[in-house]
Amino acid sequence: MKRRELIRAGFLTGAAAALRPPLGTAQSAAVPSELTPAQSGVDASKDLAAPGWKPLFLDEHQNETLIVLSDLMIPATDTPGAKEALVNRYIDLVLAAETHERQQGFLNSLGYLDGESMRRFKAAFRYLSREDQDVLLHALAYPRNASGWTGERDAVPDTGHAHFEALKQRIMTAYYSSQIGERELGWDGAFAHGSYEGCDHPKGNHK
Amino acid sequence: MSMNHTAQDALQQTYDAVVVGSGATGGWAAKQLAEAGLKVALLEAGRAVSPKEFTEHMPAFKLKYRDHSPEVVRTRPIQKQCYACMEYNYEWFVNDLENPYSTPPGKPFTWQRLRVLGGRSLVWGRQSYRLSDSDFKAARRDGYGDDWPISYGDLAPYYDIVERYVGISGAAEGNEMLPDGQFLPPMKMSCGEVQLRERVKAKFGHTVTIGRAAVLTQNHNGRLACHYCGPCERGCITFSYFSSPFTTVKDALSSGNCTLFTNAVVSHVNMDTEPNKARGVTYVDRLTRQVKEVRGKAVILCAQALESTRILLNSSTREYPNGLANSSGALGRYLMDHVVGAGASGRLPDFKTLPDANEPQRPNGIYIPRFRNTPSSNKHSGFIRGYGYQGGAGAGFNFSAEGYGASFKKAVKEGVYEISLGAFGESLARWDNYCEIDRDLKDAWGIPALRICMTHGDNEAALMEDAGATAAEMLEAAGAKDIRVQARVEMPGMAIHELGTARMGNDPKKSVLNAFNQAHDVKNLFVMDGASFVSSACQNPTLTMMAVTVRACAHLIDRFRRSEI
Repeated sequence: MKRRELIRAGFLTGAAAALRPPLGTAQSAAVPSELTPAQSGVDASKDLAAPGWKPLFLDEHQNETLIVLSDLMIPATDTPGAKEALVNRYIDLVLAAETHERQQGFLNSLGYLDGESMRRFKAAFRYLSREDQDVLLHALAYPRNASGWTGERDAVPDTGHAHFEALKQRIMTAYYSSQIGERELGWDGAFAHGSYEGCDHPKGNHK
Repeated sequence: MSMNHTAQDALQQTYDAVVVGSGATGGWAAKQLAEAGLKVALLEAGRAVSPKEFTEHMPAFKLKYRDHSPEVVRTRPIQKQCYACMEYNYEWFVNDLENPYSTPPGKPFTWQRLRVLGGRSLVWGRQSYRLSDSDFKAARRDGYGDDWPISYGDLAPYYDIVERYVGISGAAEGNEMLPDGQFLPPMKMSCGEVQLRERVKAKFGHTVTIGRAAVLTQNHNGRLACHYCGPCERGCITFSYFSSPFTTVKDALSSGNCTLFTNAVVSHVNMDTEPNKARGVTYVDRLTRQVKEVRGKAVILCAQALESTRILLNSSTREYPNGLANSSGALGRYLMDHVVGAGASGRLPDFKTLPDANEPQRPNGIYIPRFRNTPSSNKHSGFIRGYGYQGGAGAGFNFSAEGYGASFKKAVKEGVYEISLGAFGESLARWDNYCEIDRDLKDAWGIPALRICMTHGDNEAALMEDAGATAAEMLEAAGAKDIRVQARVEMPGMAIHELGTARMGNDPKKSVLNAFNQAHDVKNLFVMDGASFVSSACQNPTLTMMAVTVRACAHLIDRFRRSEI
C-alpha cells in the first residue's frame, strides 16, 4: 500500500512540472481541442444504463433474441453475466456505427439461429424452452470434422459453427470489456500493482 | 515547387539552426544545439501535447465504443493498422483523409505517422538496441550493398550519451551481434521466458535476453521508475518511458535558446541567392493556412525518413530539378522497413500459473539477438543477413476457450500459459524501393504528397521462412505444445521502421549525406533521422537514430565554433 501512495505522490510532482506552460512558444493561435473524448476525460461507462434506452440498430425481436442468447452464452453464476452487463446494448451501439457489410453479417448470424430454431422446433429461438435453446446451441458450439470412417479427418464446411462463433465473439468481447466483465476477471480497479517480480525459481525448475 | 503569398517579415530573425520535427531525433537535435548556445527554431507540424491528455489509467469500459470507435475507422483507416492507434489516442495519429500518399497497384505500404509534439516517440515500442560492426560493415562481409561511412567505434560514445540520458533498462550479455550499453537494471523475465532462455542456450547456443527498453526501472534524470500499469502508448504520467516532449524538447526550451513553432507544416527548404546554401524553410500554418518562412544558418530535417525526403523532393531548384541535394540521384532510393510476419506461438502446459488481472504489467518482452550469418556462425545457404526475435511468455485469460455457458466462463479464468516469438528481419537496401512525389496528389495544406513504391524481396521472404521454422524449434525445446507457425511476409511499413531514402556515404555520387548527416551538395543542410541509414540491420532503429543525431550535432556545433557555418 505504501508503495502505491508513493507512486501517487510522484505522479503529482511529475505532472505539475510538466504542466508548466512551454517556454518560448512562438505562436498563440487559438487551437481547437483535437483531443479524443478519452483524452478530454469523457467517461461513457454509464451511457448504456440510461433510463429509456432504445436500440439504435436492432429491432425489438433482434434485441430480445440477443438478450436471451447472451444470457445463455455467459450466464450469471456466482457472478453477474452478459445480460446484467447490458451486452445487447453495447453490441447495438457498435452495430449502429458499423459498415453495412458488418451489420449484415451480424443479422445473418442471428437469422441463422432463428432459421435453425424454426426448422427444428417450429418457433423462433427466443420463444424456445431453456432446454431446447441448449440443444440448439450445443449442436452449433463445436466444429465439425469429416467422419474419419473413410480416412478423411479434415474440417468440413460448417456454416452453423461459423455463425455461432461470430455471435460468441461479439458477446464475449462486449462482456469482458464491460465493468462487470473486468470485475469477473478479478480486477481490483487499481492501475498499478507494484513492480513486476518475474521468475525466482532455481534453474531448470520452472512452473 | 512554388508557393504564393509567402509572408516575408522584414524583421525576421535568422536562427542558427532550424530543426524540422520534434520526435526522437528532432528533440535531440534541438537539445544538443540549444544547450551549446545556438539559437534554434524547432518546427513541429502538429499541436503541443499535455500530460492532461494521457489515458493510460482509463479502463476500456469508460470509452463509448470500448476501442471500436467508428471515428477511428472513418478518419484513420491506415493508422489503425498499428496496434497503438486506438479510441484512446487516435487524435495523435494523422488523419488519413488529410494526409494522403499513394502506392502502385499490388504494392501496398502502410505509413504510420503522428503529428503532435513528440511525434512517434509518444507511442513507440521503446525497444532499444545497438548495431554492431557486423551491421555497419555488412557489405564488406557478404558483398551486398554498401558499408556505412561510420563504424561502431565512431558511434559508441554517442550511444553512451543517449543511453545515459534516456535510461535504457537491459541486461549485458556480451553478445557479438548486440553490443552492451549503459543499462539501468533489467526488467525481470517470467518463468516461461527463463525456461526458454535456459533451453535455447543449452540446445542451440543462442541468447535469450530481456528486452532492452527505454523504460525506467529506477528513478532517473528527474523521471520516476515505471509503475507497471501497461499501456505506454497512451502516455505516462510519471514519464517513465522516453518521449521527447518531456525530456529533450523540455531541455531545449529550458535553455532559453530554442523557440518552438507548433502547427508548422513544412513544405520545402528555401535556398539562398548564394549557390548551394540553404536559407531556411517555408511552412504552412496547419490551422490558419498562412504560409511563412523561418530562416536559419543551418537547416536540419528530423521529420522521419519519408517526410524528410518528401521535403527535399518538394524543394527542387533549377540546379537540383529532381530534389534538393540530389546530384547523386539517390534521394528517395533505398527505402527499407524491417520485414515482419514470421514467428511461432504455443502453450506451456506444465505451467500452472493462473492469470491475474492485478499482476503488474511489464511493458517489455524478451529478445533473441541475430544468430544467422554472424562472425562465429556458418554462412547460411539460403539468405544473407538475419533476423532477431521479440516475444514473451506468461499466463493469460483464455478467451479462446471452446463452448459456451458457465463452463466457458470458468475456462476463461483458468487461463492458458502461452509463449510466442516474432521475427524482425533485415530489409536489404534496394534501388528499386523508393519514394517520389505524386504530381496528382496533395495533402490538406496543398503540399505534394508521396508515392511510395516498396516490396520485400526474395531475401526477406527466405528470412521469414527460416524465422518461422526456427521459432517453432525453439518453442519446442522450451516444452511448448500446440505450436503454430507463421512464415508470412507482411506488407512493408508494418514494422514502422522506415529507413533510408537519403543515405549517408563517402561517395557523393552514390549517397545524399556524408558521415555527419550533412548533404554533400548543400553544406548547411542536414538530415538527422532514419533517412540517413545505409542498411537496416534487424535491430529496432530509434536508439541508433538518436546516437547518429547526437554525433552529427557535435560535428555541427564544432563547425559553428570554427565559423564554418
